[in-house]
Amino acid sequence: MNGTEGQNTGQGNGLATAERYYREYGLRAKELHRQGKGVMGYLSALGPVEIITAAGLVPLRLKGDVSEPITKADVHMETIVCPFVRNVFDAVLKGTYGYLDGIVIPHLCDSTSRTYDTWAYNVPLPYSFFLNVPHSSDAPSIGFFKSVLGTFIKSLEQLTGKNITDEALAQSVKAHNKNRQTMRQLYSLRQSNPPLISGVEMTHVLVAAMGLPVDESTQLIASVIGEVKARAPKAKGSDSARIMILGDQIDNTAMVEIVENAGATVVMDDVSIGAKVYWRDAEETKNPLDGIAERYLRRIPLPTTFVGAGKDYQESLEDRFGHIRGYVKDFSVNGAILFIYKYCDPYGFEVPALKSYIEALKVPVLYVEDEYSTSTIGRLKTRIEAFLEMIG
Amino acid sequence: MVSDTSNTNLKSEGQCQEGKSMAEERKSRKTATEAAAKVPKIVRANLTENLKAKEEGKLVAYTFIVCLLDEIMRSMDVVPAWGESYSGICAAKRDSGRFLEKAEAEDFSRSLCTYATCNLGFDIWRQELGGAMPPDAPWGGIARPDVILASGQMLCDPRFKWPQATQHYLQDVPIHVSGYYWPPWDPKIDQKEVEAYYVKYTVEELRDVVRFLEKHTGRKMDWDRLAELVDLVDKTWDMFYRTYELRRAMPTPMDTGDAMNTMVPLAFMLGTQEAYDFYKDLYDELSRKIANKEGVVADEKYRLLWGAGLPSWFALSDFLYFNSKGAVFPVERTYREAELIEHLDLPKTNDPLERIAWRWTRYYTNWFDRARKRPGSLPEVERLIEYIENYNIDGVVFHQAFSCRTWHAGIILQAEILKKVYRDVPVMIMEGDIVDISSYNEADVHNRIDAFIETLEAAKSKRA
Repeated sequence: MNGTEGQNTGQGNGLATAERYYREYGLRAKELHRQGKGVMGYLSALGPVEIITAAGLVPLRLKGDVSEPITKADVHMETIVCPFVRNVFDAVLKGTYGYLDGIVIPHLCDSTSRTYDTWAYNVPLPYSFFLNVPHSSDAPSIGFFKSVLGTFIKSLEQLTGKNITDEALAQSVKAHNKNRQTMRQLYSLRQSNPPLISGVEMTHVLVAAMGLPVDESTQLIASVIGEVKARAPKAKGSDSARIMILGDQIDNTAMVEIVENAGATVVMDDVSIGAKVYWRDAEETKNPLDGIAERYLRRIPLPTTFVGAGKDYQESLEDRFGHIRGYVKDFSVNGAILFIYKYCDPYGFEVPALKSYIEALKVPVLYVEDEYSTSTIGRLKTRIEAFLEMIG
Repeated sequence: MVSDTSNTNLKSEGQCQEGKSMAEERKSRKTATEAAAKVPKIVRANLTENLKAKEEGKLVAYTFIVCLLDEIMRSMDVVPAWGESYSGICAAKRDSGRFLEKAEAEDFSRSLCTYATCNLGFDIWRQELGGAMPPDAPWGGIARPDVILASGQMLCDPRFKWPQATQHYLQDVPIHVSGYYWPPWDPKIDQKEVEAYYVKYTVEELRDVVRFLEKHTGRKMDWDRLAELVDLVDKTWDMFYRTYELRRAMPTPMDTGDAMNTMVPLAFMLGTQEAYDFYKDLYDELSRKIANKEGVVADEKYRLLWGAGLPSWFALSDFLYFNSKGAVFPVERTYREAELIEHLDLPKTNDPLERIAWRWTRYYTNWFDRARKRPGSLPEVERLIEYIENYNIDGVVFHQAFSCRTWHAGIILQAEILKKVYRDVPVMIMEGDIVDISSYNEADVHNRIDAFIETLEAAKSKRA
């Protein structure tokens, strides 16, 4: 493959490119690594992409492979750990990400914080960093997180031998904001009836976008927008169910395919590779770290960071789930699938509250606890089809 | 921490009489120390204090151990109600299943922390009964909280997610979440370069807890009293440390089976004179036993380290099975959350909140320098090595509870590194849970213990 083959080269082939990057995840990062560019893998929505980009590195969000059985990880990592984390760790041990120059593991949850040493000791990489993201989001927490980010920046500077200037950070914040704005434009094309882009196609784009340098990612999304907008809108709206999926890193099309093969459409998400990370920008502050720290603690609705706000229970609910009310309205959602990985305390403890919050919006909810694996797909298919039949 | 005499240690399995029911059989068992035998009464008294506090108009707070709030709560007369402890009691009485099922019926997965789901099941049931205790609530039940003091921190996610889940059912109960973190281990980063900002943050968060409690108790913090209680906790840590160090003696006068009871004052009563006095009494008792050469078992064959993991509270009698094979546990990492204060090299400060923050930060980071001196090691492994050497240990037992990631993820790594950087110590990893008895099979556990004893014997012969 030559130096440009993996790049999206313009309008008209965005969806095909996205699908290729989805199927061959990390292709472009691998290519850039071959060209001498540093590639920094990171786990979860809390990976500080603005800083990685400002350091001149390619941020690559790590994913696993739901169709790949875990064969190497269990020797080193307990099976009571989140199945997603175990699957990614397995992929790294198998050499799937052999082109990484380092890895950042943010403190998302116990499954990431308690396994960091296991990653650091078993994955032969020149660099690894545990980013201690606090769970609270009050003013002292922002100040503390800025200090943590400062330590991270210093360690990246030692790795690359280059200073990360405020100017580089500010430019990176702008670039990532532009990326989010562009993705939101694409999301807006899901509001129509029927949506201009299917849930499967959208998953391809979301996965492809998290594996590219930020400007290339933005260019790819823009290309998809152009292509999708050119689709002739159907004169008559569809009466198929409009589904929202909720959960953490749902980075494959398996579930979405079940929904869409059954005649419904996935029109919105509240997942950590989707709306959770794209819906709100980082504020472009004088000291860029102010805006960056604030974004990670207050603007990404994850169950491990939205923990302290609200004077009472109702305020706390709105703080944690209020965005979902907007999604339901704007995307005309009439069914929700809450898909939680097994052994996940942060999401698991929210299930009754989140379920009742969505049901109060007159949206039926299917709650599924499952593995990060297609080995259970038959059971999942039966449950989803029964749910879709129920909501009509 | 919580078991009554029906599940605690005894000197000999032979004390059980044939023909008695299981419950009767367990009742006849005795602990190795008088101190451990007192614990059930102490735990009951704590629960009674919870319930009486409501009548006396004192604020009752649901809270969690190792959240740094002990001195603050005690100096403001806030009465802590420990859900972890209560779930452990339910488990020890083998009466947690109905509460776990109640939570499961509400869509709380069985893979979540069972301390939390047991307690949630209890709270859900009580709400359904309009505030009355669920029928036959173990030891009279735990008080309904006035506030919940949660903690976003390194230790575990349930410390801030469980309170939110509780509030879904107890919607009138306010929650306060404070942040408490310690620097993560990184061989490339000197913790001294980052400790200060960790401590600063912890102090700010603790100050916010004080403000929250001032608002809800309607009284101001007595800072002099707080400082006195910080002194008392320092003294208690030292007394605890010195007392437990007595267990190095051969034969050991107390093993982990008892320690799972004698941890109660350290975990749940820190900042009280009773906690200090408890360890002083235990110190005297262990000294007497050592003078009389009185051990947990008469003929110690194998000395084991409980390397990590919370125990199965419903199966503490497994320690007895080890004892019946001549194996004792003179030391454990679990619930040894105290260090000799002089080991911590604490900076001088008059601010009691800063003293709390530094004490707990250094509790974790004081192992970092030792780990750095042995390339490839980990702070947790350094602790294991120190115990192996100081307590003359033959093998290490870990327990992996399926519902708790915080204590139980990383155990495999510790076992791997121990072998790599130290020596090939026999290791056993038991699997089970803290509260959920459904996956427990006593015969299987005993078979595994038998196999491990054979490994220990083989290793001993080889070393000899």
